[in-house]
Formats: sequence, structure tokens, C-alpha cells
Amino acid sequence: MLLEYLPILILMILALVLSILVIVLGTIFGPHRPTPRKGLPYESGMTPFGPGTRRVSVRYYLVAVLFILFDVEVVFFLPWAVVFRKLGVFGLIEMLVFIGILLVGYVYAWKKGALEWE
Amino acid sequence: MAAGPFNATMILAILPQIGLLALGVLVSILDLLWKENQKRNLGWLTASGLALIMVLAGVFTAPAAQPVLVFGGMLRHDWLSFVFQMIFLFGAALTALFAMDSEPLSRKGEAYMLLVAATLGMTLMASAADLIMLFLAIEMTSIPLYILAGFIVGDNKSTESGFKYLLFGATTSAVMLYGFSLLYGFAGTTQIYQLAGILQQGQFSTFTLIAVLMLVLVGFSFKVSAVPFHFWAPDVYEGSPTPIAGFLSTASKAAGFAVLMRFLLVVFPMTEHYWIPLLAVISTATMIVGNTLALAQKNVKRLLAYSSIAQAGYMLIGVASVSPLGITASVFYLTAYLVTNLAAFGVVTIVGRSTGSDELSAYAGLSRRAPGLAMVFLVALLSLGGIPPFGGFVGKILVFAAAINSNLIWLAVLGILNSIIALYYYLMVLKVVYLYRSEDENRPLAIPRSWAIAMGLCVVGILLLGTVFGPWYQWSVTAASSLF
Amino acid sequence: MIPLSWYLVFSAALFSIGLFGVLARKNAIAILMGVELMLNAVNINLIAFWRYLTPTQVAGPAFVTMVFATAAAEVAVGLALIISAYRRRNTVTADEIDLLKG
Repeated sequence: MLLEYLPILILMILALVLSILVIVLGTIFGPHRPTPRKGLPYESGMTPFGPGTRRVSVRYYLVAVLFILFDVEVVFFLPWAVVFRKLGVFGLIEMLVFIGILLVGYVYAWKKGALEWE
Repeated sequence: MAAGPFNATMILAILPQIGLLALGVLVSILDLLWKENQKRNLGWLTASGLALIMVLAGVFTAPAAQPVLVFGGMLRHDWLSFVFQMIFLFGAALTALFAMDSEPLSRKGEAYMLLVAATLGMTLMASAADLIMLFLAIEMTSIPLYILAGFIVGDNKSTESGFKYLLFGATTSAVMLYGFSLLYGFAGTTQIYQLAGILQQGQFSTFTLIAVLMLVLVGFSFKVSAVPFHFWAPDVYEGSPTPIAGFLSTASKAAGFAVLMRFLLVVFPMTEHYWIPLLAVISTATMIVGNTLALAQKNVKRLLAYSSIAQAGYMLIGVASVSPLGITASVFYLTAYLVTNLAAFGVVTIVGRSTGSDELSAYAGLSRRAPGLAMVFLVALLSLGGIPPFGGFVGKILVFAAAINSNLIWLAVLGILNSIIALYYYLMVLKVVYLYRSEDENRPLAIPRSWAIAMGLCVVGILLLGTVFGPWYQWSVTAASSLF
Repeated sequence: MIPLSWYLVFSAALFSIGLFGVLARKNAIAILMGVELMLNAVNINLIAFWRYLTPTQVAGPAFVTMVFATAAAEVAVGLALIISAYRRRNTVTADEIDLLKG
């Protein structure tokens, strides 16, 4: 029974070997010209500004929450689209009602200024 | 389960929900269009909209003698759900009237919209006949209420109350949901009315079933604020805007009871011998904890919060009796309690609005400052205490009678003892209202019209339920009969 | 095929970890994360039961969809409430938010 999992084991070993191989080959054969900027831990050679754990403006949060809410609603579209033909006009109308309610919510958020950055 | 066929019964069955949805959308659109000084009218709009929905539902939605399952078994259209829907709509309409003159809520379209959304969730809770629908309805009720509890963002107490309500609510509903998932696993269906049969046929040990029942009960006990899941209630009631506290303690609790009754009687009839004592113990603990802690309170809102915990205990007596009479008693008690407690919280709203305090000392000399208000408070508190000729009295008699009928005499005795303790602190408050003097005595309290209307409705309700209780009792009997 | 009970044990463990997080952690955000773990445990349960017991019906996946849509709404409201409490009190530690008691 464990034999069924053999391919997974082989895949894991392959992945491990391959990644070690790539790193090792890269360090042996690649050019090695370090500059102080490249030696920085992140930001790919750009000058970092501020500490890495600085606070994020609360405005990002508002955008993120709105995104999550409308994003998650999309999950209801997928099953509907799959059986769209079976549901017919009835399904279409139901989905229009659903979208209509979402739209009211969206307009509400918009008019209340939730989408303004300032 | 076919999606296509679609008939008028289905639409008529969810007429209140459609109405609530339309009302919510209308309120949010008008909130955008209306100017700041017009927005107080949103309260009138919401209240009259809810009243209109009640009338329409009463005319078109009254269920047939035979309950029907609609929308692929998602909802059950029966008298229990109908009566509860009426209770919620009435409670929400009164809350909208109270909110109109409560400073933080009155001009906020969101508040009315969330109120309507929570009511929509409650009406679905009362008629849900499927685990998915039930979960969705419970969340739909809870989430708007979390926001409403923490509505006053500039106030430490309100934000804290929303915060606490959310943390307790989210946790208990996750535990309950785990119970739902196990039920689905055992039975392979989410239809509440098929669960019992399958669970009975299957080889499930009583222990497993009791364990699942406990998980589910966690969520329901939170909703009805029964011991040991009552901690949140005093804190949340004290911090949230007073009209919302009134709504939480009445309609939200009633919704919890609607679900509790249906679930216990329909899904778990085979383990009755285990959960009846359990429920009786919970009920006793709830009454004792609520009443003893209320004795020590100096803040009227907290006092009413503990009293409403104790009231849940009395209603649980009816459920624990597991008889048509018991359920009838609980439904009747809930109706009486709804009008009574809304009136009490209404008085607290108005006093808090003018004196800026909910402490007991702020109520000194109230009978001279506003005799009518003091009278309403008298009626409400005496009804809560179970004094005739008010609604609370008939409710208590029915509940205790149901307990005695089901051989739970000790429970009835404990209930009566508890009502006597409760009377003590209700009278303490009335003593302050009627006998204590204060310097502000000659400054009358301003009472807005919307509030007077709501209050009048409550008092009429309390008196009707206490004197001409025949028709309401018949309603409760019909509601209860759809569970047996 | 992996037996059903493995999934159930896994989900029970996840649920317990979540519940432990809710009860033991003091940071409100960590408490919410605990709740999310509990909801995920529920989802694993539902999907496992569906796949093994009633793969031809839609109730399982429909339930899961509803659970995570509501979980998203709950967490959005939750974070908003936590932020509004944080703005007033400058803390997200549940123990320190203790104005209401008695």
C-alpha cells in the first residue's frame, strides 16, 4: 500500500537534488562580484528605506477588506457557471438579483468614500 | 432538489424576507441620497417598512395547517417560524423607533440597514430546516449585531463591547459548526428533518450523539445567553447603544430559542432522557446566576442584562418540559418578555439620553421629572417580576405549569423561588424611581414622539398579554403544535 | 486510499489547536486566527465526509462554500472591530480591554 506513494517520494528526492545542484553549480561557475548594495538582505539592489517592520497605513486595510469581501463573493459564480445551462432563465435571474445586491453594496461603499485614498 | 420548478407558495413563504431585503436596499440607497438633516426620517421609514412587512406577511404568508418545505428543503414554512417572524419584525420596528432618538444611531443609515439585515437573519433562523441554511442564518444575524454593538467608534465602552461580542460569538459559532459538520458526516444529509430518522437507524452510541449535541448547544446557549455562556451579555449590553442592547436581549434571544426548540425536538428526540436533565440544570444555573448577580448591580443597564440572563432561565424551563404545553409556554413567555424588556430598555435609553448616565442614582426622582416614563418603567419591571395583570405573570404561570405537568416539580419550585429574589431587585429600582429625591426634580425629561409611540405599543402589548391573553395563547399553541 | 478516519483525526487536531489558541492567546488577532483554524477544521471534516460518504450530492461542497464566505465576512468585521478598539486603547491584548466588568 505504501508503494502507491513511491512516485511522491521520488519526486521529493528529485526536487531536493535538483535544487542543491542548481545552487552548487551557480556558486562554482557563476561570476562573483559583490558590491555593498547587492549584499543587502533584500530589495534586489535598491536602497532600502525605513525598517522592515514599519507600520502599514490603516488605509491599506480598508482596501484589503473591500477586496476580500467582493473577491469571496466570486466563489458563488463558479458553481453557477458550471451548471448555467441546466438552471436556465431561473438561474440567470437569481444571479442577477445576487449581483444587484452586491452592486448596491459596492455603490454604497463607493459613495461613502471607502474607495478614496485620502 | 430540482432547481427549476418554482411556484407561488415558495415566494409567498419568503415574502417577509424579500420585504426585508428590499427595505435594507432602500434604506442604503436613501442614506446616500438624503441630506444629513433628513436622515432621521430613515428611522420612520424603517419602522413603517417593518410594520408594512408584518401586515403583508400576516395577510399573505400565514402558513397552511400542513407545514411545507420550500426551496429544496432549505426552509420550513410552518406556524412556529411564522409566529417567531412576527415577533422579530415587531421587535425590530420598536428598536428602529428607539434608535431614532438615540444620538449615535439616529442619523446613521448603516444602523438601520444593519438592523434590517439582522432581522432578516433572524427570520431565516426561525424557519431554517437545513444545517447550511441554519448556519448561514445564524451568521447573518450575528455579524450585523457585532457591528451594531461596537457602533459608536468614538466610545471606549462601545468598541469594547463589539470586540467582546465578536470574540465570544465567533468562537461559539465555530464550535457549533463543528457539531454541524459531524452531524452531516453521521447522517450524510444536511436536512434537519431527515437527520433524526437516520441518526436513529444508524449505530451511533448515545455518547457520540450527546457529544455532538453538546457542541451544538454551545452555539445556541451563547445566543440565548444561558450559563455557562452568559459572560458576554452584561458587558455587551452595557457598552452597546441602549436600543441595540434592547434588541440583543429580546429579538436575538428569541431567535436563539426558536432554533434551540426546533433543533432539540426534531434532531435529538432519541436522546431526550439525557438532555432534559441537562437543560433543567442549565436553566436552574442560568436563573440563579442571573438573579444573584443582578442583586449587586448599581448600573441599570447591567442590572437589566443580568435580569435578562435570568429570564432566559425561565424560558428554558418551558423547553426542558418537552411537551406541547412547555413549548407554548416558552413562545408565550418570549412574546411577553419581548415587549416588556424593550419597554425597560426604552426607558433606559431616554434616561441615559437626558442625564448621560445609566447608573441607578440617575433615576432618583424620575417619577417627578417624568411621571409617564416612571409609569412605563413600573409596568415593565413588574411584568418582568411576574406580577399580575401584566404579560410576564401569565408567561411565568404557563412555564411553571408546564414544568409541573412534565414532572419537573423541583424545577418549578426553583423557578418560583428565583422569581421572588428577582422581584427584590426590580422593586429596589422602583424604590429609587418613586421614593428618592434629586435636585433636578423640577426639570422635566424631554420625550420624543417616536419614543412615545414605541412605548405606548409596548405598554399596550404588556397589558394585552396579561389580560386578554386568549388569542396570543392560541397562537403559541398553534406554533408549538408544528413541532410535535 | 487514505482512510476517512485520518482526515477526521487531522481535523479534530486542527480544531483543538484552534480552540486552544482561542482560549490561551491574549492577542485579539491571534484569537481570530484560532477561530479561523477551527473553521478550517470544519471545512476539512465536511469535504472528507462528502468525498467518502455522499460524493454524488452537493450538500458538502455547498456547505464549505458558505462556511468560508461567512468566515471572510466575519474576519473582515472582526478586524474592523479590533482596529476600532485599538485606536481607542492602543492595545489588541484582550486582557487589557477590561473597562466593562462587575
